[in-house]
Amino acid sequence: MSTLSNLSMTRRQFLGTAAAGAGVFVLGISLPGCAKVDEQGEGVINAFIGIDENGVVTFQNPFIEMGQGTYTSIPAIMAEELDADMAMLKVVQAPHGPEYRIMFNNTTRFTGGSFSVRSSYMTMRKAGATARAMLIKAAADTWRVPPGECTTEPGVVIHRESGKKLTYGELAPLAAKLNIPADVPLKDHASFRLIGKPVKRTDNRVKATGEAEFGIDIKVDGLLYAAVKQSPVFGGSVQSYDQDAVLKMPGVVAVEEIPNGVAVIADQYWRAKKALEQLPVTFDEGDNADFSSKSYLEKLKAALNESGVRVENVGDADKALSEAAKTIEAVYHAPFLAHQTMEPMNCTALVTKDHCKVWAPNQGADFVAKVAAEITGLKLDTIEVITPFLGGGFGRRFIMDYTAQAVTLAKKHPGRPIKVIWTREEDTQHDHYRPMTAAKYRAGFDAQGNPLAIQITTAGEGPSGRLNPEFLEDPAIDESIFEGGPHQPYGIPNKRAELVNVPVKPLPIGYWRSVGNSQNAFFKESFIDEMSHAVSADPVEFRRNLLTEQPRFKKVLDTAAGMANWKSEVWQDENGIKHAMGVALHESFGSIVAQVAEVALDDGDIRVVRVWCAVDCGFAVNPAIVKMQMESGIVFGLSAAWSEEITLEKGRVMQSNFHDYPILRPDQMPDVEVEIINSGEPLGGIGEPGTPPIAPAVCNALFKLTGQRVRSLPLSQYTF
Amino acid sequence: MTTLMINGKQYELDAEDDMPLLWAIRDIAGLTGTKFGCGIGMCGACSIHLDGELVRSCMIPFGAAKDKAITTIEGLATEEGLHPLQQAWIDKDVSQCGYCQPGQIMAAAALLRENPNPSEDEIRTKMTNYCRCGTYLQIFEAVKQAAQFHGEQS
Ligand code: FES
Ligand code: FES
Repeated sequence: MSTLSNLSMTRRQFLGTAAAGAGVFVLGISLPGCAKVDEQGEGVINAFIGIDENGVVTFQNPFIEMGQGTYTSIPAIMAEELDADMAMLKVVQAPHGPEYRIMFNNTTRFTGGSFSVRSSYMTMRKAGATARAMLIKAAADTWRVPPGECTTEPGVVIHRESGKKLTYGELAPLAAKLNIPADVPLKDHASFRLIGKPVKRTDNRVKATGEAEFGIDIKVDGLLYAAVKQSPVFGGSVQSYDQDAVLKMPGVVAVEEIPNGVAVIADQYWRAKKALEQLPVTFDEGDNADFSSKSYLEKLKAALNESGVRVENVGDADKALSEAAKTIEAVYHAPFLAHQTMEPMNCTALVTKDHCKVWAPNQGADFVAKVAAEITGLKLDTIEVITPFLGGGFGRRFIMDYTAQAVTLAKKHPGRPIKVIWTREEDTQHDHYRPMTAAKYRAGFDAQGNPLAIQITTAGEGPSGRLNPEFLEDPAIDESIFEGGPHQPYGIPNKRAELVNVPVKPLPIGYWRSVGNSQNAFFKESFIDEMSHAVSADPVEFRRNLLTEQPRFKKVLDTAAGMANWKSEVWQDENGIKHAMGVALHESFGSIVAQVAEVALDDGDIRVVRVWCAVDCGFAVNPAIVKMQMESGIVFGLSAAWSEEITLEKGRVMQSNFHDYPILRPDQMPDVEVEIINSGEPLGGIGEPGTPPIAPAVCNALFKLTGQRVRSLPLSQYTF
Repeated sequence: MTTLMINGKQYELDAEDDMPLLWAIRDIAGLTGTKFGCGIGMCGACSIHLDGELVRSCMIPFGAAKDKAITTIEGLATEEGLHPLQQAWIDKDVSQCGYCQPGQIMAAAALLRENPNPSEDEIRTKMTNYCRCGTYLQIFEAVKQAAQFHGEQS
């Protein structure tokens, strides 16, 4: 449980407010066990809300903004209870430190896993409500009336009887002197004016004028730029380089080694990049120069015949399959994928004797601080992390490789800020990839065509085991590689699933939007579709019949099918082009999503015409953002399904830029319709659940059109 | 020293002639609204207007822009206020991460200048910049809104 405390009596500077001194009312939420004491002997606690004398409410957001809307949804939850005017709200990023670890019983803080809103909803509401109660108390004291006679309108406290008003700005210095009340009541849902409403994005203006500052845009006096070249083979290292060949080039300041490569530092980025291109450098390729994605795929497929670790066991699948009147089997696989954030990896760092400042696009300020402290040897509290807007994250910016480079270089040049910028080529070839995965699915039916059993074997290596083994309850069971396959809602009496871990080291793997669901939803929902066709059932009807005990899933499926006016059969449009619909249903990150895709096939060219998407995320805190995230997730998943694939030969990535790693273009964009179901169930995530269903929905439609079952992605490798 | 005219202002820049205009605009003139996405002319994040024409500034050597008028996202608004496209972008909450959006707006501004009343089809085929966040439908809608505004103004 979080407790609230008033920070006004500390001298702690509240970031983002003009003056931390008089007149700033700072409300913090202190986390038991985390409060520290500073040199003055004052409690140093985190602070989420500051109100200055002009009534500007500064909100220190523990979550970063990478497009998913956290700079709107999170402060709006707080502002709802505070009764603040959204127009008077200024959102800034909270610094690193234990004080802001508000997730999972105050143990951590990051932005990902579609966790931001659902992990902080009550904390943010309580913070806002407590601040409001204190502002009311300050006004009531001034007017010498009971607080119960006062109410608020956005930004003002009002005395009901007399009509007297005081603004939050006027009251802030008074409220700052008050004690924190305990157990302030929260609003009831009926009186919400922000929560559940399509509140406008707080960042829409700066992002339309070009003022929004991303990491790559950071301006610091005396800034130097670095271009980097990393070992093309993973695990390789620099053998030799001839810095004299480039040191005399215009603007070049230095050539330095970084952990797995070399960097040129210059006064302009272009000069650094040009010099780097001309720098003679040889790499020791290490032990992995024979790695190829083709041979890894063969390994995965072979592993599907081994028996693995049991991850699900209901009934007796073996027995049911051996007694089944009919069985089907299919093997699927999905490729390595890159994140391709629109803003390439970059980081700026400045190191002095006793201080280190890092401007890093990141999905967790604490990760940045940790890396910077390790490299500089400085204490964590002398590390300052500035988190600008992120030009996309999708899971890539958990990994601090680019940050380590900037800090390493800055440490070698104390007092000089250095900005590392990766080219798109470096970014593509040194990502932490969505792991390649293979799976074998088997199902058995009785004589009437009712499913009796399903058996799944998944092979691959998950990112959690590699990056965060501490997350795993059982080190042998890394859910991040098979999640979304087993544990389905479908009422099939016998289920068995196994995992065969096939390490893919040295290849760096990571979290890619929706993680294991991104590939396993494709396997699972394609196979469910294969099952329906095997017994000549309509794919929607077949799923419905298996969901009699899962009303929530059934409703989502029915909603999507209803929106689409579901058609079982292929049809022709007025130009004689064939169209068909495909469906997929998938739960991830606590939200259930169904999508129906209408696909047309014109002389072998695929066109995804329209996608109908129904989502049950419990309750949509900001329905506009929920819709946008569904659309965004659909584009991300569709892009990958259509044309994305990272391959490796001789230990190196074969793709380098958008010409050989194409992402979805505007002319490929389907129309999308989204419907939200507010079921009242616990809050689900929103940033990722839109991604998993689209690949199977499209492939299931393609099967109807072509009779060809797509069992591996991307689609660009097929001719239809 | 080379003089560039960006958004009606003169900038003295010290750079090699082969430096892409993108980096001159960003790192030397300090106008960072124009973004780097791919450096090979594919994504459009670096879109600007050169003598009124839409170009991808990562593909233009800085030296080739010497005697031309450069407009970047920072120069799109006028004294009267935001460009109708910027307003439409705000009204429709188009941006997600926002990184591609300056380029998208510059591309849309060129499209509307060429054809103040584009058809849906034209918008969908002429807006070719990438958006990894998938804001395409909102972009199309915002262009339509701004085109309508254009129509009402003239
Ligand atoms: S950066 Fe110029 S087109 Fe991508
Ligand atoms: S809004 Fe993120 S790339 Fe377009």
